[in-house]
Amino acid sequence: MEKLEKNNKILSSFRDPSGFLFIRDDLLYRQINLKYKEDYDHLMSSGLYSALVKEGLLIPHEEIIPTEGMDDIAYKIIKPENISFISYPYEWSFSQLKDAALTTLKIQKKAIEFGMSLKDASAYNIQFKKGRPVLIDTLSFEKYKEGEPWVAYKQFCQHFLAPLALMSHKNICLNRLFQLYIDGVPLDLASSLLPFSTRFSLSLFPHIHLHAKSQKHFANKSVNMTRRKISRLAFLGIIDSLESAIKKMRWKPMGTEWADYYNITNYSSTAFQQKKEIVANFLDKIGPTQVWDLGANDGFFSRIASQKGIPTISFDIDPSAVEKNYLECVANGEDSILPLLLDLTNPSPSIGWENSERDSWLKRGPVDAVLALALVHHLAISNNVPLRKIAAFFSRICFSLIIEFVPKTDSQVQKLLSTREDIFPNYTQPAFEREFGKYFTLELSEKVSGSDRVIYLMRKR
Amino acid sequence: MNKGLILFLFLSFSVFVFSKEAYAYLDAGTGSYVIQVVIAFIFGGLLSVKIFWNRIKGFLTNLFPRKD
Repeated sequence: MEKLEKNNKILSSFRDPSGFLFIRDDLLYRQINLKYKEDYDHLMSSGLYSALVKEGLLIPHEEIIPTEGMDDIAYKIIKPENISFISYPYEWSFSQLKDAALTTLKIQKKAIEFGMSLKDASAYNIQFKKGRPVLIDTLSFEKYKEGEPWVAYKQFCQHFLAPLALMSHKNICLNRLFQLYIDGVPLDLASSLLPFSTRFSLSLFPHIHLHAKSQKHFANKSVNMTRRKISRLAFLGIIDSLESAIKKMRWKPMGTEWADYYNITNYSSTAFQQKKEIVANFLDKIGPTQVWDLGANDGFFSRIASQKGIPTISFDIDPSAVEKNYLECVANGEDSILPLLLDLTNPSPSIGWENSERDSWLKRGPVDAVLALALVHHLAISNNVPLRKIAAFFSRICFSLIIEFVPKTDSQVQKLLSTREDIFPNYTQPAFEREFGKYFTLELSEKVSGSDRVIYLMRKR
Repeated sequence: MNKGLILFLFLSFSVFVFSKEAYAYLDAGTGSYVIQVVIAFIFGGLLSVKIFWNRIKGFLTNLFPRKD
């Protein structure tokens, strides 16, 4: 859960004068201030709230009565439905960001029908609930005033259009720019990075290139806004154009380092099946409430947990693997698995004001159980992390651990060692058991037949 | 000539001529507001055409329904 102030306010919601999030008795609430009364009442009475909740586009909430502990500026306290894991746009794959963008525009179009408009179009306001994007900020709506432009237009372009265009036209890894720029990718930066050919795009030319020039041109000028009006049709025209631009964005995952991993491992199909059974059996013994699968690739083993109905997060470093995993979730309508991008050797840091607006990956833990299959050798050998530090790390993030030890004799480790000096004399099974034994009870272990690999079930001491 | 059109042409010209600068620290709010007003008439027009075209398509589909 995100960091709290003394009065339990969540530090990511300090900007909005309409209200704020707080925690009481481990439950999340949102205070709605009197300032937002008119808009909130319109949201609820116009039918917009019900329509959005019915379509799964907005997080449902209940109003808390009596509203004990309310301060003078408070109008109501609501309790939104819980989201089990908060993820951030720099952890999403291409299609996750694209779906979040299309969800935002769908909500905006629906809001207009009910005489409202989104005053925020922040990617952080979208979260994945049961595998699908949903708006979590109930206070994002304001009454639509005909003639006024879309106040969240700039934010939409920075949070969705620019990063998607960069990922699609330049490099998929550019969604990491979100980590540097908390309010989305600055449009002048996006404009300078995008290929020259995008200046001939009917959507990217006005919304990014021209938009960036206009921002620069008017940066130090005052403009009389009262005379400049936009008709409702033109307003809808801009939303429609943004929607077509996002729908046209494409990125096809290529065969990158892990994309075909399961086809090139040294497992026989029997050993693979046996590994699956060991993992399923160990999961049954733990009965976890939530699982994080680290180094999950396309989520093959994550699905052993998710198909048992356990909410599972499938983390991987490879954008192709995460994209493939997410598309599979969408195609199969899976609701217990969330694929996310994560570089375990450099996980998401805490960012924003006072380094507290967006939590680091570690702060969002610990989780009930972690799956770490075919991972340790990458941390120990590719990334030179001593086993004692790897064991300490796992003890910070979980209470139960299903972990595979891949010894030096394994062909995958031999491959890693073929291009580097073997400076890992302590990378042995006894040393692995000794170091992990300091933090965990090694409850069970099973050898994967036809290989030298061993899978352990460990519980935190 | 219409002021909005002049601005549109001026900004369009500068997109192609000065394309390498980046000033991420500038206040971007005013420019975002103005550009919407400038491009609004184009996208409003395009949406009208789209709606009109969909109506014609709908009318023709109703007139000549597909036989399965």
